[in-house]
Amino acid sequence: MTTTLPAPRSEAPLPVAPPEAPASDRGARLAQATVRWIAALGGAFLIFSALLISKNANPLTVYTDAWNSTFARQQSIEDIVIKMAPFVLAALAVVVPARAGMANVGGEGQVIIGAVAACGTAMAVGDALPGVTVMVLMMLAGMVAGALWAGIAGAMRLLLKVNEAVTTLLLNYVALDVLLFLIYQPWRADPTGQPATKELQTAAKLPLLAGTTVNVGIVIAVIAVVLVWIALSFTTWGFSLSVVGGNAEAARRAGLPVAKLLLSALLVGGALAGLAGMVHFAGVEYKLRPGFGAQIGYTAFLASWLARHKPIPVLLACFVFAALTVAGDSLQLDAGLPAATVNILTGLILIAVLGWTTSTRKANS
Amino acid sequence: MSARTRRLAAFTGAIAALAVALSSCSAASSGGGGGGASGSDSSEPGTGGTAVGFIMVGPKDDFGYNQAVYDGSEIIKKKFPDLKVITAENVPEDDNAARTMEQMIDKGAKIIFATSYGHLDAAVQVAKDHPDVVVIQQGNTITDTVEPNMGTYFGTVYEPMYLAGIAAGKATKSDKLGYVYAFPIPQTIANINAFERGAQSVNPDAETITVSTSSWCDPAKQRSAADSLLSQGVDVITQHQDCTKTVIEAAEAKGAMTVGYHADASSLAPKGWITGAVWNWGPLYTDIVQTIVDGKFVGSEYNANYRVGYKTGENPFVLAPYGKVVDAQTKAAIETAKAFLSTATGSPFVGPVIAQDGSIAVAAGKVPTYAEVDGMNYFVKGVIGKLSS
Repeated sequence: MTTTLPAPRSEAPLPVAPPEAPASDRGARLAQATVRWIAALGGAFLIFSALLISKNANPLTVYTDAWNSTFARQQSIEDIVIKMAPFVLAALAVVVPARAGMANVGGEGQVIIGAVAACGTAMAVGDALPGVTVMVLMMLAGMVAGALWAGIAGAMRLLLKVNEAVTTLLLNYVALDVLLFLIYQPWRADPTGQPATKELQTAAKLPLLAGTTVNVGIVIAVIAVVLVWIALSFTTWGFSLSVVGGNAEAARRAGLPVAKLLLSALLVGGALAGLAGMVHFAGVEYKLRPGFGAQIGYTAFLASWLARHKPIPVLLACFVFAALTVAGDSLQLDAGLPAATVNILTGLILIAVLGWTTSTRKANS
Repeated sequence: MSARTRRLAAFTGAIAALAVALSSCSAASSGGGGGGASGSDSSEPGTGGTAVGFIMVGPKDDFGYNQAVYDGSEIIKKKFPDLKVITAENVPEDDNAARTMEQMIDKGAKIIFATSYGHLDAAVQVAKDHPDVVVIQQGNTITDTVEPNMGTYFGTVYEPMYLAGIAAGKATKSDKLGYVYAFPIPQTIANINAFERGAQSVNPDAETITVSTSSWCDPAKQRSAADSLLSQGVDVITQHQDCTKTVIEAAEAKGAMTVGYHADASSLAPKGWITGAVWNWGPLYTDIVQTIVDGKFVGSEYNANYRVGYKTGENPFVLAPYGKVVDAQTKAAIETAKAFLSTATGSPFVGPVIAQDGSIAVAAGKVPTYAEVDGMNYFVKGVIGKLSS
């Protein structure tokens, strides 16, 4: 890759970054945005309340109970933070390729492959090395494996012109089969029980933040968010990605190595999802089981959309999804509502917020 | 600085930051999601609570396993009006299960039923973290020391499946029976073997073709498994799945017959229903909860791997009503077999039992115990399909 962008040719003007809005204008827009957010979320909760009433539940009681058992309970807060770490990493795996205009729907599979690589590394190393070394090796293995898995889709896009949204999605099923093969056959711990690997050695489990049940996955996730934000906002690479994402043809004419950029975005995305798999494996599950990591990739995909593919808001979006999962317990346990109820609430919030996004674009253009 | 060097620098920075983060944290503890023990140790575990919790792996209206659990929990609601019954469905067999159980404990539950096979790891974790709460698991087996506040329970599911196999062996015309199952765990293997041996007892040519779905409830996989069996000439299908509707409907649509599992689904197969093995948890759940609230759990038969079958008492797994394809002669054969299973020397696996590979699994004349059957890890001769192990 060359050091600087080549000078734009006269017939192909570089896409220009939107001009900075004056401060007063920005304030007004912020106020407008806040109002829209409140309206969208309020609407979602209003529709959900109607559903609750139809199920003979009192919305006020349901919301109060859900709030109390989700945010007024130390363990629940910790559960949310534990759950959100792999979400954040897997959402970043959508954010980076999205910057280059690609849809990485393969988080689900990349998470699994990352965890598989981490587990394989831990089993290969055993107790021969100190725990911290094993952790770092597991992280590297998870990231490399995730990147390679996404790289398959990248190569197919570049060589065969197959859309990466299709290949990444289909590779999820292949990843699941790889996982099932390993835990049914070579890695199976107990030949008579439900297929699973043996538990990760204690020394290699991710350490907990002092005085809590939260593993360091969240620290890793926050660091990753900051790094991705820096990489996308302040590096040539990040800028080039957005040029490619904005108009690939223009980028090509401007002399950008489009193929390399696309591939690199997918590889970085895959590595982040692989890291998510490692964090979930070494921080929460400690074993590979048939349903390992289920829904992390898809939830993260939605979270990235909710955050409009921006790294910092991803944190908030993932917190919301993790909190909704934990709040789902209360909907069942306190109000006796079916388990799927919380999915409806999630769906409503998603539609409301995404609908809001569209209207902003219209309003701004 | 080139983009590549910058990326490298960022990566190195990430690793360095991680190393700092890791070293500044406390050492890992093996604990899962423990919120610390609550209550005092002086009272018996499981007493003094205000609620009973049930976690289920699937939906409570699945025409199967989880519906049977939910029906059982409704009985507890009636029998113990002072206790609040809280249920959670769709609880995965991973760390989420521990989280949900912790929430139940916070809501006053001192008795928790973890009702899926794969909930055992989480159940053991929660039981260790809360010595005052009794966590009792349905269907799995604790292989190491049983904590004083833990236990597992189950019916001998393979006994009614043996009886259903007799009905299937009589009904089949192609001599090919189909079995859709989830995981090759001993419980399932024993079911499949008992079904095949029941069929063989009345029809020596009967064979059972198996297909695994790797999931307790995945309708798409069930559908393709059923279709693959039907295309091989199978004319009686049964299953070991939590949700049973899809397979039964697929069989009925192709004119094949059905042996149900977990719950009476004869309404789904008016033409092809033969019979089925179904749960009646009410009495057993009631007795377990009564034992716990009386403070008599520790050291009781439930504070262990409790199994009940025709030999030892009231099996919670019973035979469903017969369909019209079952004639009087078959019914009589089933009654005879049931009487045999209830005797001390009765079992679907009275030796000789020949394994799939031709070796002798149970020597002639030997009667395996319930515990031995619980560890079964081979298919018997007549079962088609590879057991991955």
